[in-house]
Amino acid sequence: MWRLAALLTGGLAMLAGAMLISDVGPLHALRTLFEGSLGSPGAVAGTLRETSPLLLAGVAVFLALRAGLYNIGVEGQLIVGAAAATAIALQVSGPAGILLASLGGMAAGALWAFPAGWIKAYRNGHEVITTIMLNNIAIYFTGWLLSSPMKDPDQQSPTTGTIDAASRLPHVFSNPPLIISSGLVLGIAAVILLALWLKKTVAGYELEAVGANPVAAKYAGINARKSTLLAMASSGAIAGLAGAVQVLAYEGRFYTGFSPGYGFDALGVAILAGSNALGVIPAGLLFGILAKGGTALQIEGVPKGITTVVLGFLILFAAAVRYRQVKAVA
Amino acid sequence: MGAPLALAAMGGYTSERSGVINIGLEGMMLIAACMTAVVGVPYGAVAGLAAAIASAIALSTLHWLMTQKFSVNHVISGMGINALAAGGSSFVFAIYGDPKHEGGVPQLSVWIFFVIAVISPALLWLYAGRTRGGLRLVAVGADPDKSRLMGLQPLQIRFVALVATGLFCGLAGALLVSYVGVYTNNITAGKGYVALAALVVSGWRPIPALAVCLALGFFTSLQYRFQGTGFLHWIPSQAWQSLPYLLTIIALAGFLGKNRTPAGLGKP
Repeated sequence: MWRLAALLTGGLAMLAGAMLISDVGPLHALRTLFEGSLGSPGAVAGTLRETSPLLLAGVAVFLALRAGLYNIGVEGQLIVGAAAATAIALQVSGPAGILLASLGGMAAGALWAFPAGWIKAYRNGHEVITTIMLNNIAIYFTGWLLSSPMKDPDQQSPTTGTIDAASRLPHVFSNPPLIISSGLVLGIAAVILLALWLKKTVAGYELEAVGANPVAAKYAGINARKSTLLAMASSGAIAGLAGAVQVLAYEGRFYTGFSPGYGFDALGVAILAGSNALGVIPAGLLFGILAKGGTALQIEGVPKGITTVVLGFLILFAAAVRYRQVKAVA
Repeated sequence: MGAPLALAAMGGYTSERSGVINIGLEGMMLIAACMTAVVGVPYGAVAGLAAAIASAIALSTLHWLMTQKFSVNHVISGMGINALAAGGSSFVFAIYGDPKHEGGVPQLSVWIFFVIAVISPALLWLYAGRTRGGLRLVAVGADPDKSRLMGLQPLQIRFVALVATGLFCGLAGALLVSYVGVYTNNITAGKGYVALAALVVSGWRPIPALAVCLALGFFTSLQYRFQGTGFLHWIPSQAWQSLPYLLTIIALAGFLGKNRTPAGLGKP
């Protein structure tokens, strides 16, 4: 916990430095950051809205990470899942639509992650490069979908139509401006389920064993290839679900630039979370606060890039503290 | 379009051949492009180029520090570097960039860059295959433990390799800005990843990597040329743009010749 505190202090110090450069008083800016993200019911609602996709996407990255896989492709899997969910929700409305759209999003995400898992497991090709490539293909593919087959003809910009109000995920708490969508509840539930699954089931144990030492796991009788493929596909499915929930709970449609980089932020969330899946919740909340507070800072004249810089440093610091490789004795 | 890719791919070559996975090529190019514009406008083209190279080398050295000194996973460090560059370039440009500046960024002749882009792969090939330093670089990348036993110092060799990576990415970023004469946020738009892809497809060999980059550049300009003329109009432009990424995946699956990945890639 003190490490997280140290990281937070470092990040805030950096923010303060940047404020000095951009002629906004550091204390004033920090107050803006926190008031903008936690200061009022509306701000809290905004922070939770930013946190929601990061929880599900964070679970996706975290799951792969436990299997020793770096799923950089969550971004691509998320937008493909969102596109599939929108396509289905536009056809089928009501609770059945919600269910089918979620399943469709999961299937699309899993499908998008499958090549990376297969190449890793059976061809020994590095998953980082394949997932980066799949991200780019996903962006072009959905770009093409939005340019003709899925585009709403009544709109100028590349976007789909808006889904029916009956196909939206309900709010669990609604007292405007504080509105909490069930999307957030789903995210928290996913984190808890993942933590239980990793600790209490055989498949979860095998997955962590493969991640810790694939050779030892193989001699223990675990099918490492199957476990790798399963981890990658499940990670993709959860990422796809994150995209679907983002459509069903918040956006209501799919458009160009749908994800402002949730998949990449989720990587930071999963790394900050450490070795326990439950850590995804505070890490996701921290990223949510930075995202929402960053918007408030932008209004004050501090360029938004600064929050990305802080996140970059957080990733590097957290990795330096937590993800050190064991050096082989030579 | 092929030349900046080739320069970045050569940066990837020195890094990955020494055993350091480098997905930070994108970020290094981006920060270099930003510095070319931010420093180049008030102080001239040469200063801009120097700042570009210096900033890329700084990020590259950070990557070395994280991966080699702090033993951070190479991929995570690369992601961190990319985030720093993406945020840093947009922050710096928003504050110090001069949006009202007339006449664009002062430019050096792009021919200088082209000559470097074409000659450096051949030089790197000669260096890696024919000189003591080059053979050591490849040895460290192939098996850091054994090369340590042979009395080499992977950390030192990788430091030099990553400085070279920064140099090449700095040139690549500066060239991107010199083409169009203006800097826009996220001007690299994934070109660093494409360069990495070209390196992978060519089996981590410099001259084939140059050929792949030039071919990609050729197809990109061909696509611009045919845009709107009706030639092959039934193929969406997005399919063309996805092609290099798709080819990389097929190459990694081992369907394009044997797997030539440096054996020590990512090892401490």
